[in-house]
Amino acid sequence: MVVGIKDSVKLAGISIVSCCAVFVCTLFLNYNIDLPAIKGRITTEAGMAMFDAQVLTGKVVVCVTGCCLVLTSAVMLLFYVKNYIDAHGKELGILKALGYSELKIARHFWVFGVSVLTGCAIGFAAAFLYLPDFYELQNEAGLFPELPVQFHPLLAFFLIVAPAMVFAVLSVLYAYGKLTKPVLDLLREKREYNLKYKKESTKELSFLQDLRRNTVRSKKSLVFFVTFLSFCFSAMVQMSTSMKDLSSEAMGFLIFAIGIILAFMTLFLSLSSVVKGNTKTIAMMKVFGYENTACGRAVFSGYRPFSYLGFALGTVYQYVLLKLTVSVLFKDIENLPEYRFDYKVCAITFVVFILVYEMVMYSYARQIRKLSVKHVMMES
Amino acid sequence: MIEANHVEKSFGSRENVYPVLKGIDVKIQDGEFVVILGASGSGKSTFLNVISGLERPDGGSVLYDGLDITKLSDRLLTAFRKETVGFIFQQYYLLPNLTVDKNVRMGADLASNRVYRQIIDAVGLSDKLHKYPGELSGGEQQRVSVARALAKQPKTLFLDEPTGALDEQTGRQLLDYLCKLHDEYRFTVVMVTHNQNIAEMADTVIRMNSGKIIESYANAAKKTAYEIGW
Ligand SMILES: Nc1ncnc2c1ncn2[C@@H]1O[C@H](COP(=O)(O)OP(=O)(O)OP(=O)(O)O)[C@@H](O)[C@H]1O
Ligand SMILES: [Mg+2]
Repeated sequence: MVVGIKDSVKLAGISIVSCCAVFVCTLFLNYNIDLPAIKGRITTEAGMAMFDAQVLTGKVVVCVTGCCLVLTSAVMLLFYVKNYIDAHGKELGILKALGYSELKIARHFWVFGVSVLTGCAIGFAAAFLYLPDFYELQNEAGLFPELPVQFHPLLAFFLIVAPAMVFAVLSVLYAYGKLTKPVLDLLREKREYNLKYKKESTKELSFLQDLRRNTVRSKKSLVFFVTFLSFCFSAMVQMSTSMKDLSSEAMGFLIFAIGIILAFMTLFLSLSSVVKGNTKTIAMMKVFGYENTACGRAVFSGYRPFSYLGFALGTVYQYVLLKLTVSVLFKDIENLPEYRFDYKVCAITFVVFILVYEMVMYSYARQIRKLSVKHVMMES
Repeated sequence: MIEANHVEKSFGSRENVYPVLKGIDVKIQDGEFVVILGASGSGKSTFLNVISGLERPDGGSVLYDGLDITKLSDRLLTAFRKETVGFIFQQYYLLPNLTVDKNVRMGADLASNRVYRQIIDAVGLSDKLHKYPGELSGGEQQRVSVARALAKQPKTLFLDEPTGALDEQTGRQLLDYLCKLHDEYRFTVVMVTHNQNIAEMADTVIRMNSGKIIESYANAAKKTAYEIGW
């Protein structure tokens, strides 16, 4: 009635992120669980050092990527639920006005857990298919005896079922919290930010300037998203190049791929919701005769400073993290190359980042062109 | 002068075509006050959207002083709307995150209109300048949308049932403002309405039924917003 499986299909972004998270976690966790079985059979000293290093790397990777991705999917999911409620505020408000209880409506939001379940299941399955190759890769030097891949039901439970359940509950609770608003607030179009900005003098601002500021302010979660995606992109891509030196090529590639996927998912999600959240505004501006470029600029350009901020934060983050990892965790391991900040990689990443960001912005600005006035008017 | 020649428009898929406008011819002089009447579903809004350049017809032409706007590219059509037309919709479509002042300024900035506050005064909202649409009554919101359209100093103003959501008193007030402004600025007004009485305020009345004009006549004597019935 309120939300259906159909809506969870639109959550592909969350599925992809959870898929990545589970993929990485499965690889390293499964390996770390299987690895101790051969500890007794390692004879060489080099083998022992390798063993310790790999156990540690596994932990670090699971912590870093796992936490990062879990956080992302949580934020994305809540963001989506919030958007859903905002966009369907009227219908939900009518249901509430008719006398449906909040819990009765919120209950339906469990379907959002389905997308997490799908993503996790796919990630787990994919990881399992890749595991034999991964085990071989980890033992490239041939320092360990043969290590067979084993299936751990408990691991499957914690990586597939548990997250899905947690996310289902989380969505229901969040929806419930959102729905406790008075009926009229759901029905009416309310502006979303606090009154405290009201006192500020906006007299001198032109319409477009004020609109730009307002677009940014009215959806703070988007600001977070844009910052976050630049953060991910910057940190993951730069980290991956350093990781190549510090550990294996495969690891570097993994982190690189995840950074890119994450960045694109968040960028895509946040920009489409900017467009969606502003369709009426854009349509109205077009009715009045504002040009497409003016509409695009007013809606998108407010986010640019935040993307640069995110990039800077990501650079600092990856530097600190790698420095710590190298000096604390890997300090006992010999002949590890020293870690230094790589200015060249940073510069290249930055250029690529700007290119990608502006390209996506441009393509969305083009989408605005296709927005038909009539279409928007028919909706309400 | 606005001239619609044999305007046609249909909706639906290829197998299931549903004609809404079946060849409409209209001539509207500059400064004229035209009211379009007709039953629900007769195609009034569609016609308004077509002659105002919001939607393209399937056939026929719409000429503004000889310029056929149905042949314009999207970019030129936008520029045309910017310079020529103003809209007032039944559902207001104000921007909820901006104050009354900024909503009106949306129209004003397009025409580089520095004195748009006068229009806010004229619709009686100067004390609500820094309120948000959500904090206004329906009638007040409609007045903001009137001010927004007029601040643009349009040559032609299109209104789609502007009084549809208003009570009698606010409705009359709004029409009164509109007439005053019309007398002062002499822009062209094309208004769609359900209310037969409002037609008595117009220079010309056009009656539509199922996609055709069935009657068109000029009013001998115009009435004011307070003289008509409701
Ligand atoms: N985008 C559309 N797609 C399909 N059919 C449409 C569309 N827009 C309008 N119609 C149909 O065209 C017909 C005329 O619609 P229109 O909105 O012009 O009527 P109207 O005279 O303004 O009615 P009302 O007084 O109720 O507003 C209706 O039967 C409607 O179903
Ligand atoms: Mg209509």
